[in-house]
Amino acid sequence: MSGTNGALREFTRRSALTALGAGIVGVTAASWPRLTGADIPGRGDNSLSIAIMGTAADAEARQKVIDAFAKVHPEIKVKVQAIQAVDWKDFFTKILTMVAAGTPPDVVYVATEGAQLFAEKLAHPLDEYLRRDADHMREYFEDVHPSLVEAFMYKGSLFQLPIDWNAANMYYNTTALTKAGLERPSDNWTHTDFRSTLAAMKKANPKDFTPYYWTNRLFGGVVPWLYANDTSFLKETKSPGGEWLWDGFYANDPSRSLRSGGYQWLEPNADDPRVFESFDYLRGLVKDGLGVRPEEGGGNSLIGLFASNRIGTTPAGGYWVQGLHEAGMTENDFDVQFFPKWRTQRHQFGTAGYAIMKTAKDKDAAWEWVKFSSSREAMQIVFPTPNTTPARRSMANQQLYAGTGPRNWKVFYDTLDRFPTTGPIPAPPQQASVETALMKNVSLAVSGDERQLKDALSSMQRDLELALRRQP
Amino acid sequence: MTTIQERVTTTAPVVKRKKRDWSVAIRVVVLLIASVFVLGPVLWTLSTSLRPPSESFQLPPAFLPLNPDLTSYEQVFKQLNIVALVVNSALVTGLIAVGQMITAALAGYAFAHLKFRGRGALFSIVLATMMVPAQVTIVPVFMLIRGVGLSDTLLALIIPAIPTAFGTFLMRQYFMGLPGELAEAAAIDGASPWRTFRSVYAPLAMPGLAIVGILAFNFHWNEFFRPLIMTISEQNFTLPLGLVSLQGNLGTGSISVVLAGVVLSMIPALVVFMFGQRALQDGLTAGTGK
Amino acid sequence: MSTATSTPTGTGSESGRKPTHKYAQPSKRGRMQQRWLPWAFLAPTIVGMGIFTLLPIVASIALAFFRWDIISAPTFVGFDNFAEVVQDPTVRVSFLNTIVFVIVAVALQLGLALGLAIMVQEKLPAWLRVFFRSAFFFPLILSAASVSIFMRYLFNEQFGVVNWLLSIVGIPAVPWLTTPTGSAAVVILVYVWQNFGFSFLLFIGGLASIPVETYEAASIDGATGWRKHWFVTLPLLSPTTLVASVMAIINALQVFDQPYVLTRGGPGDSTRTAVMVIFESAFQRLEFGQASAIGVILTLIIMAITAAQFRLSKRFVFYQ
Repeated sequence: MSGTNGALREFTRRSALTALGAGIVGVTAASWPRLTGADIPGRGDNSLSIAIMGTAADAEARQKVIDAFAKVHPEIKVKVQAIQAVDWKDFFTKILTMVAAGTPPDVVYVATEGAQLFAEKLAHPLDEYLRRDADHMREYFEDVHPSLVEAFMYKGSLFQLPIDWNAANMYYNTTALTKAGLERPSDNWTHTDFRSTLAAMKKANPKDFTPYYWTNRLFGGVVPWLYANDTSFLKETKSPGGEWLWDGFYANDPSRSLRSGGYQWLEPNADDPRVFESFDYLRGLVKDGLGVRPEEGGGNSLIGLFASNRIGTTPAGGYWVQGLHEAGMTENDFDVQFFPKWRTQRHQFGTAGYAIMKTAKDKDAAWEWVKFSSSREAMQIVFPTPNTTPARRSMANQQLYAGTGPRNWKVFYDTLDRFPTTGPIPAPPQQASVETALMKNVSLAVSGDERQLKDALSSMQRDLELALRRQP
Repeated sequence: MTTIQERVTTTAPVVKRKKRDWSVAIRVVVLLIASVFVLGPVLWTLSTSLRPPSESFQLPPAFLPLNPDLTSYEQVFKQLNIVALVVNSALVTGLIAVGQMITAALAGYAFAHLKFRGRGALFSIVLATMMVPAQVTIVPVFMLIRGVGLSDTLLALIIPAIPTAFGTFLMRQYFMGLPGELAEAAAIDGASPWRTFRSVYAPLAMPGLAIVGILAFNFHWNEFFRPLIMTISEQNFTLPLGLVSLQGNLGTGSISVVLAGVVLSMIPALVVFMFGQRALQDGLTAGTGK
Repeated sequence: MSTATSTPTGTGSESGRKPTHKYAQPSKRGRMQQRWLPWAFLAPTIVGMGIFTLLPIVASIALAFFRWDIISAPTFVGFDNFAEVVQDPTVRVSFLNTIVFVIVAVALQLGLALGLAIMVQEKLPAWLRVFFRSAFFFPLILSAASVSIFMRYLFNEQFGVVNWLLSIVGIPAVPWLTTPTGSAAVVILVYVWQNFGFSFLLFIGGLASIPVETYEAASIDGATGWRKHWFVTLPLLSPTTLVASVMAIINALQVFDQPYVLTRGGPGDSTRTAVMVIFESAFQRLEFGQASAIGVILTLIIMAITAAQFRLSKRFVFYQ
């Protein structure tokens, strides 16, 4: 290393390093607000924080509701936090994390899957507010079917007002159906009719076509079949109470006698012969190549496959319409029908609404938000496209489905009116482990012989017992 | 530096050379087949992201999209605030990588060249921390972060990740490969130990540091679990978390959009990879001429 | 970095293999500096690890003796968590799955990595060598979650490309993600696909530092082809192999991302791994105490296996 060259090299190296160091320090300093989250609006102030499941785009859509709310209640500041999750289980995990972090939201948009967990441990009942504002709320209850409301009752109290919901109806691909020379199935088609439809479809369509595609999930997996067969994988009971609500708002409803203080799922029912029967039916479909062996959860490939006419039928709710439309399907390409009938035509649904957290500092303000978001005005802002079914009957109308189909969109809400025993997916407070116990064993149950089915169901019974062992 | 083959072929008869060419050819074929298996899925992802969802499951799969359709990419930008996600990921990954390089260099040097009591035991403890799954420590770390008021911030992701057992291990390896005589020479010149480190060893350790930096970048750019638990506000989300949301509720997200998101998230890592390739190769084969 | 010729871990003894500094002027200042200097260098790492790894481990061990659902206060339950966890069939199956997974996946991973590394390091045009090295390292730059997402589509029983390729050679559709064995196979394949590049890189480094002269000497003695590899390459590579296998095994024992995204542990419990059970106990069943108990058990197992590897290494690893 010669004298001047070496020194020069040393100098440039050191200045380069110093520059780099300065750069790093500079970047860190400049992005300090980002690093500490100080640039997140509404942080640490006492605005009402609402947590919803969705993307940033969903939060922005809610912004319009916030603006409308501000007109009615300018004194209440609101911020909406969109929490992204793959499914409701992940969403609730996030909420619990927030509770653990000491920054719980004040209001959370909770679906059936978490309704009882929240009711039991986290949420504040709406009873007193409903009693106080009964006159204002009457109109809402007239527009919402009692089945949806009952799904949010727990031990006699109501914890959420249903805002959106979805039942598992049966979607079919019109092209595939016509190829098989069939017409739209009748409203009360049975599970045997369904099977023949699948067989006909299979014959008429190419080899890589699947007549019945389903995924292994709590919603829309085996449960619709269990409900149609008038059974379930958990013993369903109802708790007493709730008269204040039913007599107050649904006194003249034809299904009044069915209503209660809320659902209860305390014991497993996987050893019921009807459960075996329903699973066996699905097993038969899989064995004969009429239905797929189900994937675990997900269902991402579904829209693409359906839109390219590779699937004949699949259970889904109103939430599917927008996705199909975006994939290029029109009302000539697909349609929806009631789920096939077995012993009953009881459908299974999921619904969602806002819950007020026990930890909310200003519960009155939280109630104002809950009340406002149940108004027609607010719901109209939030559901401009059919990516779910609105809880208000008046909103599930021709206008909503005009550009997208399906032609028989009436099926969605009629499901509740025609079959008033239609109920929510079984979701006790221990929902996460119950769902895992169910899903774990479904695949094995339907993809082997009778022996394997029996074993899978006993395993399910045992897993469910473990899951339900600790009552909250 | 001539290789064996070169030396031998100059004196071997023609027959041997043909045999050697054959074996080279066979190897190349095998390697090419392996490369197809390795890169194939990535190419499929790329080409499917350029097609509308209804064509996603066409068989035989068309690898070369004849009409590349960029709408899925537009959708990704529409559904996600990509800029914010990338900024977050870049800040977190960048600062972690820098932090790891600094701490690993210092600690690795100490373990390699500084003598002190308990050195071996301490190093074993450091290594042992690699055997504890993140899922075990995440909740206490979470509570700790909450205690200092850093809940739901990017700092909560960065600070705990700065000390690195693997990085320390790598740098120690690297420093041990550098001769100790350099230090003695520096000491004779009157340099303090810190000086020795800063001016003599550290510059030589650049290739090793590059490896630590690149591996740190790789791992943390793609990290999913810690951000999942530690970040709550969506303004703090990193890229992998944002991608998951593309799958939509109940899986109604379009597959081409999801794959477009995957491709987009590959790009920064790819860029670092290409720049770091050279450094990686140099670092691994330092001084061996291969 | 020449991993082939240096001790991979601190064995605690100052065996003088690498000479440490002896300062020319052991002045009092120098000696005092000598004492606290190493700690100054180590401070960031040691303090950081102390706070963010060791402290949480202690807390986790303590938590294992409580029942806690994160919402209410913890209650002390003594050894109940451990008793329940050890008897829980799901936990047992998950640990078993993890062991089997580690054996198969690591064997595949190391075998592939070693074989390909040897092939790449032998005579090749430089540009091809660079291409192959980059190609095999590529999957590592992807996130495990992203990989699992597109692998799910590729392995779809009806519509996936993998079954389509198999059908071309006449193999009927394999029920990849819908049967226990198929799912396990997919998880292993995806994991190996993503991770072998790392071992591959380590082997390249190791191979690159074997001096050419050693091969020359061997070929003079008549060792060519596979004999050369068996008697020369492998023994010289053994330190690298040790590092690669220790890392591969530690990683594989903690596998989570791939099974979580691909199959969520199903069908049944066939792809449920130990870390998944920890995650599920904590974040789905809200049993943080039990999750910690499982975590403690898993960490002990990992340490035991690693220690066993080092024991074995004394017999199989040759240092120069």
